[in-house]
Amino acid sequence: MNFTRRELLERCAAFGALTLATTVSLPTLASAWDDAEKKKPTPFCELGPFYKREAPHTSKLRAAGDAGMPLAVSGTVYNTRGEIVPNAKVEIWQTDNDGYYDIEGYRYRAVLEPGAKGSYSVESVMPGHYPSRVCQHVHYLTTAPGHKALITQLYFATDPVFEGDPDKNYTRDPLIGSRELVRPVVIKGDPKQMIAAVNFDLVMETL
Amino acid sequence: MRPLIATSFILLAALSAVGSSKPVTTLQLPCESQYQDLSPTGTQLVVHCIDRSTRVISVPEGRERRVFSADEHANSFVYSQDGSWLAVGFEDGSVEVLPSQSAGQSKRWKASSRRIDMIYFFPKGERIAIGPVDSPGQVWDFADTPKLLASLPFEFGGMIACAVSPDGKLLVAAGDDTVVRWYDTETWKKTREYRGFLLETFTLSFTPDGKKVLAAGADSRITMLDAATAKPVRQLPTEPGSYIVYVDLLGDANQAATVYVDNAGKKPPHAAIWNLSDAKSMAIKSDLPLTCGGLVGGKLWVCSAAGKTLTMSQYN
Repeated sequence: MNFTRRELLERCAAFGALTLATTVSLPTLASAWDDAEKKKPTPFCELGPFYKREAPHTSKLRAAGDAGMPLAVSGTVYNTRGEIVPNAKVEIWQTDNDGYYDIEGYRYRAVLEPGAKGSYSVESVMPGHYPSRVCQHVHYLTTAPGHKALITQLYFATDPVFEGDPDKNYTRDPLIGSRELVRPVVIKGDPKQMIAAVNFDLVMETL
Repeated sequence: MRPLIATSFILLAALSAVGSSKPVTTLQLPCESQYQDLSPTGTQLVVHCIDRSTRVISVPEGRERRVFSADEHANSFVYSQDGSWLAVGFEDGSVEVLPSQSAGQSKRWKASSRRIDMIYFFPKGERIAIGPVDSPGQVWDFADTPKLLASLPFEFGGMIACAVSPDGKLLVAAGDDTVVRWYDTETWKKTREYRGFLLETFTLSFTPDGKKVLAAGADSRITMLDAATAKPVRQLPTEPGSYIVYVDLLGDANQAATVYVDNAGKKPPHAAIWNLSDAKSMAIKSDLPLTCGGLVGGKLWVCSAAGKTLTMSQYN
């Protein structure tokens, strides 16, 4: 049973499940509800350097024995109406734990295909720091038919650069234009096998 | 941030290792600075201060001609090839073009809402190409009121590098999307493209006869492309662990000077001279702490800054 939002509100009102104040009309309520569910596009953060075409289609970037804190990033690709964007392509790349990009090969580079559900996940390691960048980061290039390419970077609230206070200190990296890109980190697993888990939803603008 | 830092001084550090030098002048800088941009006339210097301000000073007297405070967020500076203009790109997407030698009026206009990362002066005429971040490249004529001549789109991202042929008829542009595109500068129609690069191209240069384009970047090798067909003619060997930020032709155009930067920025940049015929290179080493350089009157000038004292030398 699929109702539009307005139809659902009308049914609720008709059956007494919804009572409106005299100052509020159903269309106004439906519009406000729509607005409340709109999503802001994920802030831009520049592409380069070291984007590489034709990365492998894999969600497992971490190999046995790789140095660095295991990292699990997951998220969903939406449009600004809050709807799932089907068939998006999410390309990610990052340094290894020592701060080196693999230019010759494809270590820590992947193409992810969220499919009809729009969700993605990837297993990696926490990227390293390197001299020309202040913060640890993962690059994202997300494309989907009918949508503007989304170029951004994911940052970690646990980055030592923020000294535990990313609200105050995120601008220490001049490339971080928005606090939204600094995501909370949840430590999971047991003490012998801890994983840093991060959720990073992507919100694309339609063309 | 794109790794297109001022590299000419590094190149010249390399070249200086093979010549003899004589001092030109010593001057006091208005601030401590790790690198500068030398004008092609040798009479002006853009000093990038460690307090993030930028000061344009005259040489040799050291008089300040223009100060850009840190708050102005001027982030890209390029002299025209004849040294008569200085172009500045700003964080807010503005561009300013200043007559570097005369007291004429500068022109400043808002070209984009994005930071201007790249500026390129055409070999002739009052035209520049600019690369706002994550936006199409733009070509402007600034002879009168600045006029947008062309917008150069990419699949995504922005323009990283460009070059115009010696006859001015062809512009090649490299984008974040790794594609190098050919444009007719009369119609601004895309005429060809090269999609053979998997990684970004950071530097483009025409041979003096306009027949070939040298492209280099994150793949750490020089690729020679045929200017007429956009097809690769030759690829030189790579240098693993590095990427190329600068390539240009020397002397008889059979040699290319190349500046490499370590992938993670943990080692100092280094330079090599490639022979384009036999694909052999000569690594160049210099212990001099050089901070800028340029060709002035056909001679190599290099700078070395220690504290606020800068020494310029000329190499033969």
